[in-house]
Amino acid sequence: MFRILKKSLKTGVVTGQYPEAGETSERLPPEAHEKAMPFRQSLTIREVDTGSCNACEMEMNALANPVYDIERFGIHIAASPRHADALVVTGPVTVNMEHPLKDVYKQTPDPKLVIALGDCAINCGVFKGSYAVTGPVDRHIPVDVRISGCPPRPSEILRALEKLREGEKGQPNLAGR
Amino acid sequence: MTERSSPAQQIQSAFPDLIAKYPSDRLVQYRVDKSRLPELARFLHEKLRGRLAVLFAVDCRPLAEKYEIQYLFASGSDQRWVLLTIELVGQDRLFTSITPSVHAAQWYEREIRDLFGLIPQGHPDLRRLVRHEHWPKGTHPLKKDFLWDKTIGWQQGEYRFRHIEGEGVFEVPVGPIHAGIIEPGHFRFSVAGEPIMQLEVRHFWKHRGIEKLFEQQTLTTAIPLAERVSGDTTIGHSLAYCQAVETLLHIEVPRRARYLRSFLLELERLHNHLGDVGAICNDTAYTLAHAHCSRMKEQLMQLNDRLTGSRFLRGTMAIGGVRKDALAIQRSETIDVLDRIEKDFSELESIIFANASLTDRLETTGVLTERTAWDHGAVGVVGRASGIDHDIRRDRPFAAYDEVPVKVILYRYGDVRARLRVRMDEIHESIRLIREIRQKIPQGPIVAAADHLPQAGDWALSAVEGWRGEILYFVMAGENGLIHRCKVRDPSFVNWPAIQWAVVGNIVPDFPLINKSFNLSYAGNDL
Repeated sequence: MFRILKKSLKTGVVTGQYPEAGETSERLPPEAHEKAMPFRQSLTIREVDTGSCNACEMEMNALANPVYDIERFGIHIAASPRHADALVVTGPVTVNMEHPLKDVYKQTPDPKLVIALGDCAINCGVFKGSYAVTGPVDRHIPVDVRISGCPPRPSEILRALEKLREGEKGQPNLAGR
Repeated sequence: MTERSSPAQQIQSAFPDLIAKYPSDRLVQYRVDKSRLPELARFLHEKLRGRLAVLFAVDCRPLAEKYEIQYLFASGSDQRWVLLTIELVGQDRLFTSITPSVHAAQWYEREIRDLFGLIPQGHPDLRRLVRHEHWPKGTHPLKKDFLWDKTIGWQQGEYRFRHIEGEGVFEVPVGPIHAGIIEPGHFRFSVAGEPIMQLEVRHFWKHRGIEKLFEQQTLTTAIPLAERVSGDTTIGHSLAYCQAVETLLHIEVPRRARYLRSFLLELERLHNHLGDVGAICNDTAYTLAHAHCSRMKEQLMQLNDRLTGSRFLRGTMAIGGVRKDALAIQRSETIDVLDRIEKDFSELESIIFANASLTDRLETTGVLTERTAWDHGAVGVVGRASGIDHDIRRDRPFAAYDEVPVKVILYRYGDVRARLRVRMDEIHESIRLIREIRQKIPQGPIVAAADHLPQAGDWALSAVEGWRGEILYFVMAGENGLIHRCKVRDPSFVNWPAIQWAVVGNIVPDFPLINKSFNLSYAGNDL
């Protein structure tokens, strides 16, 4: 017990110890802000991998570590699409994952957001054109937000999610630090 | 004890009429008639203790009107690979399955059937593997007359799981979409009460046609694709690919570049192993260790980012060397971070093993016996935790491992704890290796140019010990610098079938823990 306490005290608070994401000119579509309104204080995410290389999954997992600690912004990760407000989809949609993806979309209650995470989900990336890839996510389900990068850094994902929930006119983020 | 003769000599004495070819000093190849192959494969596997490392087919059209099937065996007593090659000429689509005597061939032969339409006669399980049932009949994407960007149609069909029937036996389907942030795959458990009687793994949901995509690339442009076979093994895959191409182009990689490659490979091993140690603890609900491990992992990912501009070390490999001289830029910083992490991690280790309720969950859980591991040809961390003493870095050194030797970590019990211990010890070993690399690294160029063009039909083989285990690449050159065939073998492909045996007799709630202790890639398996 003593050892555990000592370790925790020695480690201190590590939350926020990451380089800030660089500014991008990417603007979110106004409809996305509108749709994100109900989730400004609490957003529950279900992640769906439809054929990524698993780097995007690692970065999503990193968001939950003590350094990024996504829960402090009121963002949770749900185990089932039925508990989710937003679907985060990674990877190009493979022929074998097309039906599971549509299924998950149907199971997610309205209102819902769909976030395409990473270049593959947006435009299929290096897998574009393959016989086993049916296309980017928005070919199958409507996409509200796109976060580019291969993979996007956790700080970039965080920034995009924050921007999304800030509201259109840059109103202060209610779920802020 | 008299000196044992090499496998090549033993094959020669048992099969005197075979003609050995030596395409390189690390490889002996035998071209055999397809009717004799099962006998020879059995001899290699049973008498010479050869491990089937990879089995794949090549469509030789348009160079020649035939298919070739290649069987690569690694023998423990010798550094040399043994490659058996058979040919199916003209309209011949049949070959004899070796699965009845070499169990490790089971998935490979089903894969060949799906991707090439060649039929392994006598295979005990001819259900589809890569092609899910909704792919129309006759879709064999790696045949040369199949267009790479063809749209696949849809047909009705259902996969038949193996059923166990009886009173109180029921099935638990899991996936393809799981509860955590992990990749898609389907698991079908047959359980009686809590204990698992049978697990059937159904994968290939993420099949993206990577091997076909390679064939659309030239030898020098395919590195970004190799990096994305399995994102967490960016360096492992891109290094294995580069090595194969360098053999084809006759490039001698400069010494400094070889050291930097080892350095990058160990960095990748470090952050993945740290993440796994934490995740294993997390699956026993010991979140404290998980929090500490993911914090350390994050420090390493940020270090990767500072050194190379990518948290996954992407864009660092080049044909003939490396692209960025990472070690020179911030050399002392690297060592500072690693020193801190080693101390940090050692403290955490003693906290983890002082926790009796945690070790109780780990011990005797998910045992993969040495015999089962051997039958499946299990590699990497999983193999080494079950007493399979095998590490490419020592057995067939590549990069700088001939000058910076590795101490191979070996445990025998094959349970979750053993797999955890292998990872923990390898973390220390990797840090030691990086220190040694830093001391020994020579000055000089970091990339060499090619002065040779391969002929169409030339091929090369390369092996890398990634953090999960042995990664194999077979690259065959085609016309105009294109790739004719690229076979990728991620360690996950051989270890997935083994997990089906490790869970038998365990309770369902322990499955996530066992699965995490294997931590196999779905992307690298499905390709």
